[in-house]
Amino acid sequence: MRALLVFLCVLVTVMLQGCCVVNQRLADPRTMKFPELNFKIPSTERVVLECGIPVYLLRDTELPIINMSAMVRVGSVYEPAAKAGLSGMVGSVMRSGGAAGTASETMDDELEFMASAVESGIGSDMGTVSLTALKKNFSRTLQIFSDVLLRPDFSEKRIEIFRRQTIESLRRQNDDPKEIAGREINRAIYAGHPLGDITTFESINAIKRQDLVDFHQRFYRQDNMILSVSGDFDRTALLKELNSVFKATTQSTTLVLPEVPQPQQRFQGEILYGKKDVNQTVIRMGHLGLTKDSPDIYAVRLLDYILGGSFTSRLTMEIRTNQGLAYSVGSHFDIGRRFTGSFIAETETKAESTGKALNLMNKIITDLTKEQVTDAELYAAREYMINSFMFGFTNPASIVNQRARLEYYRYPDGYLEQYRDNIAKVTKKDILEAAQKYLHPDAFKLVVIGDAAKFDLPLTSRGSVREFDLKVNIPKP
Amino acid sequence: MKRILIAAVLLASFVTSIDAATLEDKVVEHTMKNGMKLLMVERHTSPTVSAWIRFRVGSVDERSDERGIAHLLEHMLFKGTTTLGTKDYAAEKPILDEIEGVAHALMAEKARRGKDNTAAITALEKQLSTLEAAASKLVIKDEFFELYSKNGGTGYNAFTSRDGTTYLISLPANKLELWAAIESDRLQNAVLREFYTERSVVMEERRRSYDADPESKLWETFVASSYLAHPYGQPTIGWMSDIENLTRTKAEQFLHSYYAPNNAIIAVVGDIDATATIALVERYFGSIKPGKEPAPVTADEPKQAGERRIELIAEAEPTVMIGFHKPSIAAPDDYVFDVISMILGSGRTSRFYKKLVIEKQIATDIGAFDAPGHRYPNMFVISANPRAPHTTKEIEEAVQAELDLLKTAPVAERDLQRILNKIEYEEARRMGTNGGLARNLTEYEATTGSWRYMSEHRGKIAKVTPADIMRVATTYFTRENRTVGFITKKGGDK
Repeated sequence: MRALLVFLCVLVTVMLQGCCVVNQRLADPRTMKFPELNFKIPSTERVVLECGIPVYLLRDTELPIINMSAMVRVGSVYEPAAKAGLSGMVGSVMRSGGAAGTASETMDDELEFMASAVESGIGSDMGTVSLTALKKNFSRTLQIFSDVLLRPDFSEKRIEIFRRQTIESLRRQNDDPKEIAGREINRAIYAGHPLGDITTFESINAIKRQDLVDFHQRFYRQDNMILSVSGDFDRTALLKELNSVFKATTQSTTLVLPEVPQPQQRFQGEILYGKKDVNQTVIRMGHLGLTKDSPDIYAVRLLDYILGGSFTSRLTMEIRTNQGLAYSVGSHFDIGRRFTGSFIAETETKAESTGKALNLMNKIITDLTKEQVTDAELYAAREYMINSFMFGFTNPASIVNQRARLEYYRYPDGYLEQYRDNIAKVTKKDILEAAQKYLHPDAFKLVVIGDAAKFDLPLTSRGSVREFDLKVNIPKP
Repeated sequence: MKRILIAAVLLASFVTSIDAATLEDKVVEHTMKNGMKLLMVERHTSPTVSAWIRFRVGSVDERSDERGIAHLLEHMLFKGTTTLGTKDYAAEKPILDEIEGVAHALMAEKARRGKDNTAAITALEKQLSTLEAAASKLVIKDEFFELYSKNGGTGYNAFTSRDGTTYLISLPANKLELWAAIESDRLQNAVLREFYTERSVVMEERRRSYDADPESKLWETFVASSYLAHPYGQPTIGWMSDIENLTRTKAEQFLHSYYAPNNAIIAVVGDIDATATIALVERYFGSIKPGKEPAPVTADEPKQAGERRIELIAEAEPTVMIGFHKPSIAAPDDYVFDVISMILGSGRTSRFYKKLVIEKQIATDIGAFDAPGHRYPNMFVISANPRAPHTTKEIEEAVQAELDLLKTAPVAERDLQRILNKIEYEEARRMGTNGGLARNLTEYEATTGSWRYMSEHRGKIAKVTPADIMRVATTYFTRENRTVGFITKKGGDK
């Protein structure tokens, strides 16, 4: 009986399928048409607190959560090379070293019991302090956020812990070949500029607590930051709370941000090699790029996508898909927001195909400076950029942070609103001109980490090679 | 005073149980006649949608001569179908078959190690590359990707784990039909073209992710050494010689054994209408025939009866991993492990962080997690980096002291409450992204049998008592059940 039932079911399934196949209304992915979708950029509100801090607001009640962040005009570019690592230490110990008289342990316990988080950090040209909390815990978390931001205690004990951890990370800095290559290409491109400085045992040991206090005091001022808040808040209550937490104060000194020059464009090739006993070579090559203030950024974004910024880019298509020489290969123009950005092409390939991969990368990049891209390439890149634009606006926190960031870096008005139109205007000629202007394969800094004895072509066939020592010279404590 | 406090706590949990119910309210479930499971959540925050398809097949399902095939097949399923990715499949097919023949002959020749057959190998390699070049002319490269990206698709990707294989994409909400068309075609008509080139790509992936990265290499060795019988021990990517011997024929067999609608779970989250989405998915996937129910893994890992110690000598500073076998996800003791994991390893208030990083300063970082999969009994793993001059041995001792403390001293109520508060926050937060929600729905539906694991989780955690923790710690945190892996620096510090 049971067997019969199963048999019947199977039969019925097959008959149903027969009917569906006949009644096929399935569209072809190549020619499919879609309903209209008019995406509008979500609007945010900009309010200025009584103390003068601008705040971007976006209310969204989907989740009972509030997110907030402060962007502070600070960065590692402001630290002296002899004290490289100072800004990283300030950013971290602001949070870990207690604030406004509350000890670290107490703050950790209070925050984690509420399942709230306050985090702080400083990058090359921006400091951030962020908050996330359930709505019901927002007020208390906000108080801690403002203490961390404006009144950190920098406990000696936590400074020492951070210093020791940094020393340990310096001991480990040559463990992973990809990490070595990433660091060294950046140093080579930004040689002589603060962006190319790295933390050393000496520099981290030279930092005193007073340096942290002074650095914080100099930059973490209410007249030097932008706030953004998103989530399930009541606007009136929130503004009242922000005005009470960030009280208007008179600054005793006027804000002076140090002048930091742009990195020097010195297009001069160099080959750097580090030996690691591994079966795969890490390759990085590149030079300086451009800033967001260049009118060429739209052409460069399309160039970037076509050259090495997508799964169907020329680099990936040839080196990965056609030749199977790498799992990861690509290139990227990091368009500088304040300082000139970089162009870096990268891959990892087995030691025995190092020379082959290097030659291919050079050829593919060079080709783009000689001939226009195809219509199909331009079309695919443009459609992607325009149609995927809306993914920059999928969550409230990233929307307000983006608005605050545009103000922070002084993007022109209408940047977002006109972005898609500006992408749409780019021609093949523009892309060729951008490639000729911003790609100089002869002037690449080339970093190769691996085992040169196994390479198919000697690195020296490309020019003189400077080998760096990957032994970490650990100073005696 | 105490009564008031209790009342306040009760009120708090009542309020939050309303939040917990929202997941129950928001998920729309639909099971198709062919067994395919569809889970949907409408979120109208942005006009976008994420669609994830999870197949209940991972590297745990591989036989010993198939190691690495689940993952390589995942790569291969980006190569198109009989109509997409090709200019002319009829012309392409005979070449693909010829390639397969030559590839088999080449592998057989290579397997005759030590024989003087270099010339034969070279000839076959040449023949293979000539055929591949001919086939390549008929290919439209990465057409799936091209179609998705032109239409604004982002995050088009896939991943393979021990437990499962997942294909994911996010699209503008008006383009969901493109996903249905491509994915239903991929499920029925996949063509594994460019197989042997892609196999080389996976070898490069292996070199990049494991061979050249000391910590990952230790991890792979550590997991393999933790399992004698159960396939959880084998690396998902396969050992290098496994990958070298995989064939398109094997990949196709694996595809046809496991890729069937009754073995698939779809999650569609975002700016959708659930009813219309059901109709769309039925239209494209409804006519696909169900396959055989795949057999579960029957291997049982024998009970470990003594400590295992794994050393890796590498050009790297020391690191240490400590593992204990434990039951699979959603087993009663697994919830106790969730609590233990958070008490020991989650955040700045965790015991490991406070003791090893802040107080003793013998480690720079330390964490605790479950691995290598969830469907079958797995391991509770602690991983840490010692801070010189402290050693991995000192870490082991300090970790064991914390584990022993769990056996004898009951955990404070406040610590348990903090965990519940954290889970409450996470429950809210995870509703906030299409991709994250789609991930969780497919993952828990696949590994526990129902996405409701998520909404029931906090209730189960709330029932874990201090006595449960002491019992579980005593049962599992034993020397017999322990595996330790560590890196010793080649040549020591000079």
